[in-house]
Amino acid sequence: MSTFDVELTVNGTPRQGSVEPRRTLADFLREDLGLTGTHLGCEHGVCGACTVLVNGEPARSCLMLAVQARGADILTVEGLANNGVMNPLQQAMWESHGFQCGFCTPGFLMQITALLVENPNPGEEEIREALSGNLCRCTGYESIVNGVLRAAGHDGSPPEPRH
Amino acid sequence: MQNIAERYTGASVKRSEDPRILTGTGCYVDDVRLPGMLHAAFVRSPSAHARITGVDVTEARKLPGVIAVLTGEELDALTVRGPGAAGMFSAGLPMPSFSVLATDKVRLVGDPVVLVVAESRYLAEDACELVVVDYEELPAVITQEQALDPAGPPIFEDLGSNVLVRSPVATFGDVEGAFARADRVVRAELRQHRHQNVPMECRGVVCSFDLGSGELTVYSATQGVHIARTGFATQLDMPLEKVRVLAGDIGGSFGLKLGAAREDIACAAASRRLGRPIRWIEDRSENLTASGQARDESFEVEAAISNEGHILGLRVKMIIDTGAYPGLGGMLPEAVKGMIPGPYKIGALSFESTAVITNKASYVAYRGPWASETWVRERMIDLIAKELAMEPLEVRLRNVVTRGEPPLQMLTGRSLVGVTSRESLDRIAALVDVEAFRRRQAEARAQGRYLGLGLATYIEAAPGPRTPGGGGGIMGPEQMRLRLEEDGTVTVFTSQMPHGQSHQTTLAQIAADEFGVPFDQVRVVVGDTDVVPMGFGTGGSRSATMAGGVSLHGARALRAKVFEVAAHLFEASPEDMDLAAGAVSVRGVPARAVPLGEIARAAHEPGRVPRDLEGDLEVTAEYDGGEGGWAGGTHAAIVEVDVETGQVRIERYLVAEDCGVLINPAIVEGQVRGGVAQGIGAVLLERSAYDPDSGQYLSSTFMDYLIPTACEIPRIEIEHIETVPLDADVNFRGVGEGGMIIAPPTLCNAIEDALSPMGVRVTEQHLPPCRILELIGAIALDP
Repeated sequence: MSTFDVELTVNGTPRQGSVEPRRTLADFLREDLGLTGTHLGCEHGVCGACTVLVNGEPARSCLMLAVQARGADILTVEGLANNGVMNPLQQAMWESHGFQCGFCTPGFLMQITALLVENPNPGEEEIREALSGNLCRCTGYESIVNGVLRAAGHDGSPPEPRH
Repeated sequence: MQNIAERYTGASVKRSEDPRILTGTGCYVDDVRLPGMLHAAFVRSPSAHARITGVDVTEARKLPGVIAVLTGEELDALTVRGPGAAGMFSAGLPMPSFSVLATDKVRLVGDPVVLVVAESRYLAEDACELVVVDYEELPAVITQEQALDPAGPPIFEDLGSNVLVRSPVATFGDVEGAFARADRVVRAELRQHRHQNVPMECRGVVCSFDLGSGELTVYSATQGVHIARTGFATQLDMPLEKVRVLAGDIGGSFGLKLGAAREDIACAAASRRLGRPIRWIEDRSENLTASGQARDESFEVEAAISNEGHILGLRVKMIIDTGAYPGLGGMLPEAVKGMIPGPYKIGALSFESTAVITNKASYVAYRGPWASETWVRERMIDLIAKELAMEPLEVRLRNVVTRGEPPLQMLTGRSLVGVTSRESLDRIAALVDVEAFRRRQAEARAQGRYLGLGLATYIEAAPGPRTPGGGGGIMGPEQMRLRLEEDGTVTVFTSQMPHGQSHQTTLAQIAADEFGVPFDQVRVVVGDTDVVPMGFGTGGSRSATMAGGVSLHGARALRAKVFEVAAHLFEASPEDMDLAAGAVSVRGVPARAVPLGEIARAAHEPGRVPRDLEGDLEVTAEYDGGEGGWAGGTHAAIVEVDVETGQVRIERYLVAEDCGVLINPAIVEGQVRGGVAQGIGAVLLERSAYDPDSGQYLSSTFMDYLIPTACEIPRIEIEHIETVPLDADVNFRGVGEGGMIIAPPTLCNAIEDALSPMGVRVTEQHLPPCRILELIGAIALDP
């Protein structure tokens, strides 16, 4: 099968490769560039674990071809920390015990990153709606929601129960 | 020991797993890269039940980049037939033998038939499409009725029928007398549907056979490296010592990833034959179709009751559908039988069961595998309350045991010491205010809104009370090695294999407290059969007590050994040693303190301490579970059912749980919430659906098998009850499975309560909107 050259920017660094047209962006990132922080949970676009930011917009890297990302600016989970120091979202998730097994984590972090750019102070319902395309099987989501609230500047303590 | 104010145990210490997990630097099995690694894919059966009449791999072998194509027959010659590791769950049960890949026939949709190994996963899948398998269709056995039909086609000819095991009636107490004495008898046929684990990471393995040494190294996503190693060694006919299993980060499991799967064995055999590493990562379609499924049980229950609501006796008949390849399913009825009285004073019990084989994915452990005992019992209690027009809480309070009062044991035998079900019921009653809710419910109904309150209670042997002649631990004692390093840190080697449970944090908290070092100076090593002690691994809610307990006792033993070595350096008595700020001194002489690392070095250097103390400053500890004890609790849900759409909205979900002393409250609450979320999914969304005629699997994508999102799971209010301690040192109890055990009956009870004006009687666990509309008569029954 013929291959195509792909040049793009990943986490601020110019990267290139030569791929079959059918190669997914997820496989290109994971297998060709060695960025295994992005995870594949379903490979049919439902679970959201493979979410990365493409020119700032969240995208399912399992549903996007590498050739479609030519020239794009990609941000993956590896690009969130700065010189080994976790960014405020990662810190907030650590404080909130946001995740358990960690497999869905990269997708959530990227989706939340996009959410907080668009809406720096989301309410709980907005957060839940924004994250409804990301599946987590471990947590029941409450700790993740708390992490987003904390990252958005709330103190991270759960709100009063609804009666 | 740290003084209480500085203890890590009991604090929501931030997890040591998180820095790698949050930065994308964890290492899951799909992240393992070995030089020369090849990629595997399987040709799988499109039919539920068929005879294989021909396999043609000619074209697949010709495809450039394909390294090997191995048929079921070829792999059969390279391996030992199963059941393999699944047999450990089934000692004494009839067990057919089966090949690693299908040879004579296929027994479920997704049964692996041919293994393709290629330079990339893309090429391996291309080659799968070139394999031609001819099938002669056989009638599919999908329902329990089909499986019980003696005229049906046996799925395993050597068993002769599709009944795997039929257990005769077992009786406890005077059952006939109870029913003769009863004021009333409540009967129900209860159905629990098939659903499944669905960890976000599918199964996977990287197998690497070294032709030079004859050793097999396997990187596996598994709940226990030693159990997996046994599975590989058995089915590859290799000595245990020649197999090493490694595991890193694991993306959830919930019971699925135990032992060595048939696909794992196939990849290992192929690696041995080719002398190259092979990676197989299951895709989601394979996972949903063929990795394994759970539950799928039906019950006929009769309850003999008095007009005051006392349960005089129960008659229970259980049928379990174990799927195609027998494993855990056959032994589960025994566990259900033992647990079905729960924390209640039930006067008498008869129990009989049948386990059948069908053309569905094999039965695997799923978070509280025996949980149907709780669902059946708690559903029956609400049906009894309905019969008597009593408040379900009141029926529970009239039957539940009181701690310290007779009966002191379950009807089926186990001690009930320390059970706090009554306390948790009282706590939930106080939190909910049932009378106030009933008033609000009546007002809502007057406005055409349907609110319901459901509650349910359970106990779990996590680990269970001490048994005569043994400890509280199920699945044997737990071992741990602990070593003081030359940098003054403590390394803990555990057979636990955390896959979300955060043991690298919790075991370090306990060891740090007991030994007397900061939390971040304890390193927890997991996942390598060459270095971690023999043990079952993680499962059965056993880790808190068993691994927590051995961490405590092990750290205590290591501290004593360190003091013994230090005493020689000081020419003093070990009793006079003191540890503070990372250094040991003679008590009262802190100025002459020796850093911990220096003590480890002294043991390493010849001649500085007596010969019997020379070497690694290390101990091996073992813990039998001590006095053990029960975990348990009561949950309550307030729901609103929209009778136009059939949607259930959970307005409030409350938990009063008792897992003894909390090691890390945030982690405990994460386990509780995660389990409840899976229980909510089981009731409102999830079902492993088969076409009853063709046996086709209908839930093979996330568009068909729905798991809950952040929009379906409410905030969950949790209160902790800490039992009076039973053990002098270790009163941590397991909490992993409880949420999934108790949420389904809690929700079913709430939904029935909401729909009671329509006379709805809930006898099944799966209540998606379409089913609710059927139950209330808004739409016609699906035949």
